[in-house]
Amino acid sequence: MLSYTLRTLVRMALTFFVIVTLVFFATRLSGNAIDFLAGEGMTQEDREILIRYYELDRSLWDQYFAFLRAFLDGNFGLSFIERRPVIQIVAERLWPSAQLLLSAIGLTLVVSLPLGMIAAIWRKHWLGSAAMVVAFLGYAVPNFILAVVMVLVFAYWLNWLPVVGNGTPLHFIMPTLAMSGVLIAALTRFTRNAMLDVLGQDFMRTARAKGLPERAVILRHGLRNASITLLSVIGLQIAGLAASGSVVVESIFAWPGIGDLLVSSAIRRDYPVLQFGVITVAIAVILINAAIDLAYAWADPRLRHQLKG
Amino acid sequence: MLRLLVSTALAAGIAAAGVTGAQARELKVGAANVAKYLDPGRDHSNVGSQFYYNTFDTLIDKDHEKIGGEWRPGLATEWNLVSPKVMEFKLRQGVTFQNGEAMTADDVVFSLNRMYQATFPPYMVRSKDRLNNFEKAEKVDDYTVRITVKREEPLWETLVNLQQVMIIPEDYTKGLTGDPNVAEDSDYEAFSMAPVGTGPYAISEFSPGERVVYTRFDNFWGDKAPLEKVSVIHIPETASRITALKTGEVDMITNVAPDQLSLIEADPSIKAAGSVTPLFHVMIMNTNHPKLRDPRIRQALSLAIDRDALNEALWLGKAVVPSTHTMKEYGDLYMPELKTFEYNPEKARELLKEAGYDGFEITYDTDPVYYTNGLLAAQAIVEMWAQVGIKGKVNVAEKWTGNSKDMMTRNWSNPMYFADPFGSFGVMWAPDAASESEGRFTTDEAYRKTWDKFRFSKDVADRRAAYAELMDRIKQDPPVLPLYRPYESWAMRKDIAWAPKPGHIPYVLDFRAGAISFASN
Repeated sequence: MLSYTLRTLVRMALTFFVIVTLVFFATRLSGNAIDFLAGEGMTQEDREILIRYYELDRSLWDQYFAFLRAFLDGNFGLSFIERRPVIQIVAERLWPSAQLLLSAIGLTLVVSLPLGMIAAIWRKHWLGSAAMVVAFLGYAVPNFILAVVMVLVFAYWLNWLPVVGNGTPLHFIMPTLAMSGVLIAALTRFTRNAMLDVLGQDFMRTARAKGLPERAVILRHGLRNASITLLSVIGLQIAGLAASGSVVVESIFAWPGIGDLLVSSAIRRDYPVLQFGVITVAIAVILINAAIDLAYAWADPRLRHQLKG
Repeated sequence: MLRLLVSTALAAGIAAAGVTGAQARELKVGAANVAKYLDPGRDHSNVGSQFYYNTFDTLIDKDHEKIGGEWRPGLATEWNLVSPKVMEFKLRQGVTFQNGEAMTADDVVFSLNRMYQATFPPYMVRSKDRLNNFEKAEKVDDYTVRITVKREEPLWETLVNLQQVMIIPEDYTKGLTGDPNVAEDSDYEAFSMAPVGTGPYAISEFSPGERVVYTRFDNFWGDKAPLEKVSVIHIPETASRITALKTGEVDMITNVAPDQLSLIEADPSIKAAGSVTPLFHVMIMNTNHPKLRDPRIRQALSLAIDRDALNEALWLGKAVVPSTHTMKEYGDLYMPELKTFEYNPEKARELLKEAGYDGFEITYDTDPVYYTNGLLAAQAIVEMWAQVGIKGKVNVAEKWTGNSKDMMTRNWSNPMYFADPFGSFGVMWAPDAASESEGRFTTDEAYRKTWDKFRFSKDVADRRAAYAELMDRIKQDPPVLPLYRPYESWAMRKDIAWAPKPGHIPYVLDFRAGAISFASN
């Protein structure tokens, strides 16, 4: 178990280093920050003054190593525009995004696990087919379409729900639905398939033969075994959502989250904010993946025993 | 039945009036962009200019209802030249900053010299292009200040009215970081997160890029602010902004594109107010590009463009196509009679023939999204060039190419930073200004002399004559073609009376006394 954990951690660190390096160079490919910072009508002399002020006159490697050092001393620098620590700027945005992500994950689990099981158990019944229709529809509609249609119907026409910001629980309804739409669809399908695999296994017949009630058979033996497959799917999907899913949704619902921050700092070439924002998201993704890896070991007795032995 | 209708209408009317009365105190604005920092000295962006006028004052104010500037006392009650290069200002007494500090000559001198003798790099850059002629500010006594210029200044009021020289508190600013007796760079950086001025609204909450909340400042020296609280909230998505206005989440929104206006007009509960922005979208041409050195080629590039067609197609005819680099806002210096730029495809063809244009490719660079309609205009322009036989190609890239020697043509904008040709044409096209320093425009001795006459002549007629001469130079050897002045709209609840005032620089959200009122219909 220990070496498995260690290997997971080393892989994390390596992935992280690659991401950090890519982020640093990719952000600098998109043009000189100075052109976007000072507005129009700047002379070459002014450019030089600002380049020195923002410390962009150091060589690329110099900047890169200074950037790597930040991981040791925690000084990730100041935003070019706001001139305050990027850690502070990103931290302000982290919780709103996390809230939205958590509520989307919560909704997804609550909806798609039962729906997937229904679709598997009653696969020949209309109930099962209905569940799958919902799943396919959700899969076919991208989140920005879903979001805009919801805005149009529930806000513009009906005026039932607010569209701006994250002030009240009501504000969560539309963004959560928009975020989880595709996720619900995917997870429902995977739950169904995983359950179908498990339902035909011998141990299920044994469990029933033991006289266990059907509920216990499905939940304890069925879902528990299916959860190994589901875990990996959920992990991938959540990581994807954390990385990019929120950008469009946050922009449509004026959600003060990290997706919105990444977009605006990319447009204005605020490298320090962009770098640190991307790194924060990357850390979140890596942590989610690592947690899933460890959860595997817990869910799969074979893996657990193999690690012990 | 009729009685029922009448009584319903009455009840509705009363209800509406009641609601209006209650809401008149607080206003919520949904803005496409919210500033990421708030420092009137450092900023000259369109996003930032929305916010400063509510919170800060200048020594000299102006009547913004009128075009052309009628000067009014601001933080100075009178001003007189005491010698050709020294203006003396008598300061208003009893003015307090929103943090409670009293405003004195020290604050004024500090605020002015932070620009006139700038050490903070962003101030240096901002002051050089417009305040270069200002040497220093000095305190005479607690309520008297003198400003000295290097050469006699014909634009005194204009340049004392600039956003960049709005007055900020000295002790507060210096005390923000480090040594409280020294103005460090970090003090100015900290100030932009917690700005304080003397205007009618204090900024009580600032969440960079997301939210600016104004609260009425009760000790304001002038007319009391009409609103108790104003929140400006970032709503980036146009459809969400319009929805939020319609559902009543906000009372007013910014940046409504021309094609959305019909949506606003179709709804009886909301309305739009718009104006032509004091800013030109322009096409620039690199006069020093080896293939474009012959002015006839550049003249042809310009003559081939039917700007009225662009206006009709892209702005529904609401933009303004100028005959020269001029705007109404210049007042006495507005010179629409000059015909510097025109559409004449036949002449374009002739000039190309004379110049021996051999069909080489001419590139037009544009960012995909930076300028509203910028890419569409680029594509249309290249089509128009094709009509006269020019082989054009649109280059879409996010990189600024205006300082590259390979750049042939591209789009850009020339905003009006203050109401004088110096504040728009000058910042961009004066000798050694932006364009020349980037190497795509070169001035000679004659141009410099004419510019100097325009900049420093005290007589308006002389300035006009010099500007006409400059425009003639631009026509003969064109580095630029102003395409149009875009049209910008705001939308609001029907009972709100607000409109952009013609005397402001672009995009100012003015909520001072007299700028906004609520109908009680």
